[in-house]
Amino acid sequence: MSFLPSCHEVQTDLTEYTEGALPFSRRAGIWVHLLFCRVCAGFLRGMKALPGVAKASLAAPTDVPEAASRALDAVQAALKKGKP
Amino acid sequence: MTEPSPTETELLQRAASGDSDAFGALVQPHLALFHNGIHRILGNAADTQDALQDALMSIHRDLPRFEGRSRFSSWGYKICINAALMARRSRVRIHDMERSEPLALGPFDDRGHHMDQDRAPEWQVEAQAHDLVERQEMRECLTRALDELPDTHRTVFVLKDLEDWETEEIARHLQLTPGAVRQRLHRSRVLVQARLRAHVLGGRP
Repeated sequence: MSFLPSCHEVQTDLTEYTEGALPFSRRAGIWVHLLFCRVCAGFLRGMKALPGVAKASLAAPTDVPEAASRALDAVQAALKKGKP
Repeated sequence: MTEPSPTETELLQRAASGDSDAFGALVQPHLALFHNGIHRILGNAADTQDALQDALMSIHRDLPRFEGRSRFSSWGYKICINAALMARRSRVRIHDMERSEPLALGPFDDRGHHMDQDRAPEWQVEAQAHDLVERQEMRECLTRALDELPDTHRTVFVLKDLEDWETEEIARHLQLTPGAVRQRLHRSRVLVQARLRAHVLGGRP
C-alpha cells in the first residue's frame, strides 16, 4: 500500500478517517489525497452533510400518526382496566 | 371562565398517581416525536406500534422515577429508542445477513482512481439536497434508502447520524466492536449517499 491511497481506498476509509480511528500515516495519505481529488473531497462533504439532511427530511411530522394514537389508546385502556 | 390547562408538572403528578387521562394529556404533545424515533429504527408500521405501546407502558411505570433533570420529552424519547432497540433484538432478522454493499462510490479504474475525473458529477449534498428537504420526495427517497439497509446497518446509521450517539455507545448496545460499528456505518452512508445522489442528480451523466 503506497503513501498516497487511491480514490477507492480513500472512500472506503472515510468513516474511520473522520472518527480518527486510522494510524497517522494512513490519515496523512488520505488528507493529501483529499487536497487534490475533488470527487473524493465532494464525497466527504456529502458524508458530513448527510446527517443534517437526513435529520431535516426524517423529522417527526406535525400530525400524530394514527398508529401512534392507537398505541396510546391501548395503553390508556390497559391502565384503566388495571385500576383496582 | 374556563379553567387553565394543567401544567406538565401537574400532569406528571396526576399521571404518576394513576390518572390515565392525565397520562394521555402528558404524552399526546410528544406522540409524533416518539413514534418517529421508533419508526426510524424499526421501519415497519406494525412493529413500531407495538414498540411504542411498550415504550408508553414503560414511561408510565417509570414516571415516579422521573426527577425532572431533563425535559420530559427527552426522557420519554430515550425510553422509546430503548424500546425500539429491544424490539429489534427480539424480532427475526431475516434482512440482516451480510451483504456485499459497496464501500465506495465509483466507477473506478484499474488503479482504484475515479474514471474520467473531470466529467464525474460533483455531488454537493449540502447545496443541492437542502433545497429538496422541504419536499416530501426527499423524505420518501431517504426512507426507501433506509429500508434497503440490512437491519443492523440501519440501526447503526439511525443511532449515529440521526440520534448523535457515540460509536462506543452504539457498539455497547448492539454488542459489536467499535470497528464493526464504523464499518456498518460506512456501508450505510455509501448506500444512502448513492441513493440521494441518484435522486438529486437524476439522469445527469
